[in-house]
Amino acid sequence: MNIHFNHVLPTPLSSMQQTVNSLWNQSLILEKGKKVVVEAPSGRGKSTLMHLLFGVRKDYTGEICVDDKNLSTFSHRTWTEFRKNKVSIVFQDLQLFPQLTVLENLQLKNDLTNHYSLAELVAFMDQVGLSEKLNQKCGNLSMGQQQRVAIIRSICQPFSWLLLDEPFSHLDSENAEICMGIINEACGKQEAGWVLTSLGTNINSSYDQLITI
Amino acid sequence: MLRKILLRNQSFLQLIIALFGALLGVVFLLVSVHYLIKVTEFGKGSEMLGPNILVVQKKVSTTTTLQLASSIFTQHEIQSIQNKSFIAEVKPVTSNNFGVEFATSDPMLPYFRSDVFIQSIDKRFLDVKSSQWKWNEGAEFVPIILPRDFMVMLNTFMSSAGIPQISDQLAEEVQFSLVLSNDNTQRKFNAKIIGFTNEVSSILVPESFMKYGGNTFGNKKQEKITQIIIAGKEKEFGLLEKFLDQNQYESKNAQLVTGRLKSVVSTLLIVIAFISFLTLLFSSFVLIQYIQLLISKNSYEVKTLLRLGYPSKSLSNVFIVYFVSLFGMLCVLGSVFFVFLKSYLDEKLHSTGIYIDFQYTFYSWATLGFSFVLFFVLTFISSKRNIMHEF
Repeated sequence: MNIHFNHVLPTPLSSMQQTVNSLWNQSLILEKGKKVVVEAPSGRGKSTLMHLLFGVRKDYTGEICVDDKNLSTFSHRTWTEFRKNKVSIVFQDLQLFPQLTVLENLQLKNDLTNHYSLAELVAFMDQVGLSEKLNQKCGNLSMGQQQRVAIIRSICQPFSWLLLDEPFSHLDSENAEICMGIINEACGKQEAGWVLTSLGTNINSSYDQLITI
Repeated sequence: MLRKILLRNQSFLQLIIALFGALLGVVFLLVSVHYLIKVTEFGKGSEMLGPNILVVQKKVSTTTTLQLASSIFTQHEIQSIQNKSFIAEVKPVTSNNFGVEFATSDPMLPYFRSDVFIQSIDKRFLDVKSSQWKWNEGAEFVPIILPRDFMVMLNTFMSSAGIPQISDQLAEEVQFSLVLSNDNTQRKFNAKIIGFTNEVSSILVPESFMKYGGNTFGNKKQEKITQIIIAGKEKEFGLLEKFLDQNQYESKNAQLVTGRLKSVVSTLLIVIAFISFLTLLFSSFVLIQYIQLLISKNSYEVKTLLRLGYPSKSLSNVFIVYFVSLFGMLCVLGSVFFVFLKSYLDEKLHSTGIYIDFQYTFYSWATLGFSFVLFFVLTFISSKRNIMHEF
């Protein structure tokens, strides 16, 4: 599933001076299965890009097409299907349910497609060092712990692209590496690509494409 | 788990107030529709609250006594009354033009006899419905309907004679006799009471018996119509009463009171039913507002679930199932209260001598069903719209 950008410019960024290498207002293709890093300082529209690709924001000019289908023509039903089976995301603000336990947060996503078994979910949490926190409410975890839960939740579905909006901002390098390993493994199994936004290029993983904004 | 996420952040006090309002609306709507139907149901034979039926005669004054004015209804007068918009039907009341004697004819009772006045009215006007209301020559007995006042008089006689008074039920089992006569001949007929009326002051007999009496014992003169029976249209009793007054017609006071009461009760019940419906409608709107408030309070949860890939339908279904179940339980509870309230009111009415039909009406349940469907539709639309708004 290729993603085509055709002179896309988010409305809030229209007055901003664009650099030559900028993603905005250019034609660009994100090829299927590629690992893409989007690097930019704060305020250049990294989260906006993720939100546009995930259909959370629709305030832009130009076209974003997924396999020749324009995202702006998607119905609610198509978006629901798209989010359930094609594209997954780790939001910068995580968007977990603080009143639910860690396991409930994972199951809430996993139950939609039954992508993993309970044992597999527990194994993932063990890998990221949160096996003892399974029945704790997410609201009681540290930001770093919540970030790991959000990363694991994002892979609990089939997808072609995984959108990662500064996914390691609260993680130490050891945990970031573990998480990157899990992400790469999950993507590899599905021949999926990822788009990762970051303030810098130090991301503990190789990548195929670097885009600066 | 969706319920756990979406139904938190509730303001239970607000919910309870809205549900209580809806419960009151349901109960009063059921009660008012039930009694409204009972009052307006036409021709069900209920004595107190049946159709407005009046036996009317011309007022007797000095001029009529001196025969300067007539107390007889002409065909023209009857026709002009029939043409009034507030009158459903007019029929003459046939009276006997031969001698009639009414007597007890049962060994269990002391002998009592009296010359009486008998009348017959069109079957449709009878407030006693009975398959026994027919007579032909050779029939075992003549069915009669007794004015309730006559029964009171009979019991007064019983009491003064030191004999226990007889109930309505017992009276219907006792044998009586009617003796028809003229100057030359007489004939005795067995008679049996089949019911009691408040609407007519004389003993009622079937039209065929009256016809037979007139042909056999009557004085063969043209029958004079001195009384007519009128069925007034529902809710227009005021017009009928005014018409009677203007034309110097009079009716039994009790009938006028009944008619007036019936009109007033009908109007009051319509007002109560309307207010109940408004109460139910407003409390339903409060509940719908509450759903909107709940969805907007859980805006983060709804948005996040939609972003996780949950279909909007499964989210709105959580609200629809929850609130429709609540309203359903409320309808069941309201129906239970209605049953108790109806039973209490029926008993009260019965103890005050108002014999209305105690059966449940289809319409009150249909109203409840309609309210439920209306609430379901409003909840469905509101939930769908508000969830889509969060997309």
